[in-house]
Amino acid sequence: MFIKKTIALALSLALAGAMLAGCQSNTPTASGSGSQASTGAADGEVVHIKLFTGKIETIDVMNEIIEDFNASQDRIVVEQEYQKDASNVIKIKFASNEVPDIMTTYEQGFVDEGKYMDLTDLNEFWDRMSPEMKAACTDVNQGKAFRVCTNMTMAGFFYNKDILAQAGYTEFPTQWDEFETMLKTIKEEMPDVTPWFIFGSEAWHLGHLIEFIPHGYLKSTLGTIECKKAMLANDQDVLRFADPDGAMAVFAQNMLDLQSEGLINADVLTATNDNCVQDFANGKAAMFSNGMWALSSVLEANPDMADKIGFAPYPAYMEGSEPVVLSAEDSGYSISATTEHKEECIEFLNFLFSADNQKKYSEVAKAPSAFKDVQAEWAPANIVEEVNAALENAVNIGYTNEKPAGFSGDDAGRYLQNLLAGQYDAQGFAEAYAQAWNDGMAS
Amino acid sequence: MKKTYSLLRHLTVLLICLMCMSPFLVLLNLSLNTPRHNLYEDSLIVPDFYFGNYAEGWVKSHIGRAMVNSGIIAFAALALIVLLGAMAGYTVARFPNRFNRMVFSVLLGCMMIPGIINTVPLYTLMIRIKAVNTLWGMALVCATLALPQAVFVFSGFIQSIPRELEEAAIIDGCSYFTAFWRVVFPLLKPSVSAVVILNGFGIWNNYSQAVFFLQSSEKHNVPQALSVYFQQFAGAQWNLMAATAVIAIVPVVAVFLVFQKRIMSGLTEGAIKG
Amino acid sequence: MKKKKIGLHLFMAVPAFVLYGIFFIYPLTKGIGMSLTNWNGYSAPEFVGLKNFVDFFGDARALHDIKTTVLFTLGSAPLLNLVGLLYALLMNSKIKGKSVARACIYMPAIISPLIMGYIWYLLLQPGRGILFTVFDRMGHPEWFGNWMGSYSTTMLVLVLVNVWQYAGMTMIIYLAGLQNISQDLYEAAMIDGAGAFARFCRITLPLLIPSIRINVVTNIIGSLSVFDIVMSLTGGGPGYQTETLSIYIMRMCYGSKTGYSTAVAIVMFVIVLVPVLISLRLMKRKD
Repeated sequence: MFIKKTIALALSLALAGAMLAGCQSNTPTASGSGSQASTGAADGEVVHIKLFTGKIETIDVMNEIIEDFNASQDRIVVEQEYQKDASNVIKIKFASNEVPDIMTTYEQGFVDEGKYMDLTDLNEFWDRMSPEMKAACTDVNQGKAFRVCTNMTMAGFFYNKDILAQAGYTEFPTQWDEFETMLKTIKEEMPDVTPWFIFGSEAWHLGHLIEFIPHGYLKSTLGTIECKKAMLANDQDVLRFADPDGAMAVFAQNMLDLQSEGLINADVLTATNDNCVQDFANGKAAMFSNGMWALSSVLEANPDMADKIGFAPYPAYMEGSEPVVLSAEDSGYSISATTEHKEECIEFLNFLFSADNQKKYSEVAKAPSAFKDVQAEWAPANIVEEVNAALENAVNIGYTNEKPAGFSGDDAGRYLQNLLAGQYDAQGFAEAYAQAWNDGMAS
Repeated sequence: MKKTYSLLRHLTVLLICLMCMSPFLVLLNLSLNTPRHNLYEDSLIVPDFYFGNYAEGWVKSHIGRAMVNSGIIAFAALALIVLLGAMAGYTVARFPNRFNRMVFSVLLGCMMIPGIINTVPLYTLMIRIKAVNTLWGMALVCATLALPQAVFVFSGFIQSIPRELEEAAIIDGCSYFTAFWRVVFPLLKPSVSAVVILNGFGIWNNYSQAVFFLQSSEKHNVPQALSVYFQQFAGAQWNLMAATAVIAIVPVVAVFLVFQKRIMSGLTEGAIKG
Repeated sequence: MKKKKIGLHLFMAVPAFVLYGIFFIYPLTKGIGMSLTNWNGYSAPEFVGLKNFVDFFGDARALHDIKTTVLFTLGSAPLLNLVGLLYALLMNSKIKGKSVARACIYMPAIISPLIMGYIWYLLLQPGRGILFTVFDRMGHPEWFGNWMGSYSTTMLVLVLVNVWQYAGMTMIIYLAGLQNISQDLYEAAMIDGAGAFARFCRITLPLLIPSIRINVVTNIIGSLSVFDIVMSLTGGGPGYQTETLSIYIMRMCYGSKTGYSTAVAIVMFVIVLVPVLISLRLMKRKD
């Protein structure tokens, strides 16, 4: 008993003491930035570089590349940190001044605040890329590049060629009314097949539809740069989000029409990405909209799909517009503006961006490389062909990074959820969207 | 009459158990299916008995290492919670002077504050005391978060223990401090077990703090090990994840079975007799 | 001897308080300061006074979230207590295989929330979930109503799932509380001829007051800060219709409105405090 008591007392005192001491010893340390452990690395001392990533699909290949790099020299050790919620976690890291040296997360707000290092002059990277890719990596506000993107990604309609053929279509329509007719034909010919599968329980997917279709229209008609400028300035005379005949309202009306005619899945509000992959892979859905990243899960669910998958741009839905397809920068790497190891970071990126490593990387990421000297087999040949044809036949658009800070793609998607849940009519949706956009800009 | 009543009771319990077990049965089922198994079309009940998920899950997620980490964190945090919580609960229940009442109200009040407010300042603090990426740092944070409820539970249960027991010890010449450890603390076994059960699994499964304080993959805990199966835009590898989760549940259930027995060890009678 | 008596026991709350002070209260004071700024999480914060609080009460989405959260709690907190107590009484009675049964009941709370959310959705998804599939194969797909179709039924589903998941926790506290009730009391009452119901009302219930107090407070707090269940079953949707305050705070915090989210968290504290104080007053110690 006595022993127990003494131990307990000692424990509690030791604990209290340790905590007080812990506090005291740390007061002098100013909240520095970057990796403090290696501050002022002298010759012969090892520099630790922290690499922060939210890209699950590349964890293993990155570990492999990092291991090779760490083994190739003895001055620099790179450490990878993966976070599922990387875009949230990085905010706390910035807020606490504990910024990783290299990161894959990129946001306009951070760019504007000068959180990233200017990489514009690193021609050893840019010389290996197409001018379009360099432009896509460049921030419109400052005309400088703060990230290097290793890959491209595309988004459009993935469709089942067999089902379309059965409905009498060998070509994917390029105009919205033809598109709608095709969906109707599919429904009549094959009542058990969902003509267009939308997994609206995941707000990001609906956000992407807005991003690719109405925003896509704006980008394709205004031109990428002009559109980005209009968005940054929130020039509603150009964007016309709330107009009854603007891109938003017409898009919303189209979606409502498809919904009321049963041309999209009835459980659009509760269906998930997994449901979509399953239904498409089993021939129960004729098409869905998504990016290249969806390919691997479809092929995993049914490898026989490989030669049945077609890929097409989003049909034009406004007067005088053209079909669009997303062709955007992907998998960007940025360096922190406050890193104390700029040279070492660049040395590592050089290693990572070497043609050999990028071939591996592309094939794992299932996305074509941004570097001209990398020949990667990132997808089955016929799908690559499909994608290249789509890119040739449609206006290529990029992502909108110029969205207001308080209005994410998920938020946009939730407005579309409300529309499909019957909360708005098309005009009400357009006005609510414009309102949310403007509020986001104002705050 | 009595027999039917007993039968009815057993049936009710069986039904409740089945209902409560259903999530676990789903998990088990998922863990034994190949990725191509479609629950909506193929069999709902009979899995593919594909054990490859377990082998792959074990290797790919480093769940073994994560379980050790989660275990160390949970053990250390629970020791702190029980010790500090019982001590504080005792004074609060027995000596409600101004300081103790203040401590109690502050703890109770803080239980109601959404922890998210603290995220940034706490992270900054943890960096300053070099507690990021350490198991002890994580244990301290987990203990802190669970402390108010533990104090609340302990003080509640200490109130229902008759004062006469300690007073007898005091008359025998003990101090209150000694009496607490000798007489009261052993009587708290049911509530200690309750506190351990209520907080243990939360700490084992902690994700929201681990995200910030256990960054390097050597220090990852169980949910972080599971999180490697999530893909941002492409669903998750649910079968692997389920298998890994089942592996991680085994020790937890074992611990639960041990502690829940102790809740029931009905100490009051024994103590009074002794 | 005498000296010892005055000493240590009065300070036994100090270690707990020190730990709590360092890892909660100290960061909290800084956090509260942020509520008066327009901090977005990365640029320099500006002092805006009480603007965040004023904004909150003019924010239709936030007010709707309060309504959702309160409605959820009105259903969830009482039901959790009731079901938890019933479970505990059952598990405390003469039943074979009790310890396994207790483990079963606690099971949903053991599984990592990360994966639990997915399982709930797999079980309950309209038109596709396992429950629907079971009904469908029995030839009665209509048994699975359009539960997630309207706000009120969705709320009901959320409440029931929450009870399903967490009643085991409430049960544990009641079980521990029941152990502190001496069997002698029941025996004495039986000799006096009191029936089962009378024994429950006159002995069990009054002596269970500490456990009831703990559970009522814990469940009010837990229900008002509900996050996981809603996030996994509806994601707060469609739109923001079933969004709760906790989800709102999280979305604001990570959505470049860190200062504002802190202010909302303080408002939420008050919303939680009021019912907790009321219920504590109602269950004031009568001993």
